[in-house]
Amino acid sequence: MSKPGTPGGQEFDAQGFARGIHELLVLAALREGPRHGYQIALDVEAHSNGVFRFRHGTLYPILHRMDAKGLIHGRWSSGKGRRKKVYSLTDGGRRHLSGEADRVQDIMSGLMRMLRRARKVPA
Amino acid sequence: MSAFLPTLRRLDRDLSVPLPDRVRILRELEFDLKALSGEFETRGMPAEEARARALDALVPDGATLRELDRLHVPHYRRLTRHFSPGRLRTIERSALVLATVAVLLAETLLLLRADWLRHASPFLWPVLGLGAFLFAAIAAQSFRLWIKHDHQDPAANFRTILLLSGLTLATGVFGVLADFFRLAGILEAEPGLAGSLLLEWLFGSCVLLSFSLLLALAGGLAWFIPAHWLALVSGARAELLGHPPVLRADIFANPLRPAEQTGRTPDPAPTHHPASLGEPS
Repeated sequence: MSKPGTPGGQEFDAQGFARGIHELLVLAALREGPRHGYQIALDVEAHSNGVFRFRHGTLYPILHRMDAKGLIHGRWSSGKGRRKKVYSLTDGGRRHLSGEADRVQDIMSGLMRMLRRARKVPA
Repeated sequence: MSAFLPTLRRLDRDLSVPLPDRVRILRELEFDLKALSGEFETRGMPAEEARARALDALVPDGATLRELDRLHVPHYRRLTRHFSPGRLRTIERSALVLATVAVLLAETLLLLRADWLRHASPFLWPVLGLGAFLFAAIAAQSFRLWIKHDHQDPAANFRTILLLSGLTLATGVFGVLADFFRLAGILEAEPGLAGSLLLEWLFGSCVLLSFSLLLALAGGLAWFIPAHWLALVSGARAELLGHPPVLRADIFANPLRPAEQTGRTPDPAPTHHPASLGEPS
């Protein structure tokens, strides 16, 4: 049975949600094509108008965890004598992106409803 | 010298992940740092500011390093995290002894069933005994490198593998020669036995040489493949950190500490300017 106020009837996990957002940002950046780590960081910041940005190397644990989970695929390529890592979206990552995007939208709609309601109530 | 070298050296010291993973992380970071600071520079940012911003965005802080350590911890350590180091060492050593004894027993049982053993040289037994110890040394080294992911000071085990391979081969060759001189002594006294004894010696020598050569070859490969792989990984690390190139011969010393070998003093930790990726210039 669905619990009221929890999208899809699931318990809301704030920490998991924050981690999930980071993963979605990476997946969304990679949807446009394979990218290096720094390009993902630049794209996320540029496309979110600076709302989201990665600092202190926090991008790397996210990328490595997603790679281990099979959501993205990191491969090494060589060019101009330098080895560099390029990440691309996997089929699993593509499915995860569309599924999670709906879930996040539900959560954000719930949050917005709460905020709109709070605005209407006089202080 | 790359402007990011001190940072990479500091991270190399601070990361606790296994050597191959550490090299991959540092290599990825080095490329991204150079590319990101280059990107900032093409946007018109002064070089120093571009570098500072790239460092701030990409270089892991303490919490991120711990997260990377946790992510890259070997499965074996995950599985054995509830054991104290002392207890784990005892279990590992016991397992190694048991494996060696099992190999020795299996060898003995197999050979006792073989008909041709009746004609085998007495030197076959020490060769097989050395082979069992060689197996133990190879198993211990493979376990350390590929299951435990412990790449610190692999030289001692490599030397043991080479020494046992050499001893196995030398015992085999010595056995063939000793058997030959023993045969020559017998034939001198009784030349009539030449036909049967010569054939027996030839057969025994072939078996002895085949075993010792095969075991020595296995030992040689068990030394060469991991030593070559480790030299490649250590070489990549040395190149990344600006250390002198690692030669395969360095495996016999300690390839993992080239800075100490050359008397280099560790670089001080860099100071980061607080800045964020994409702050307006």
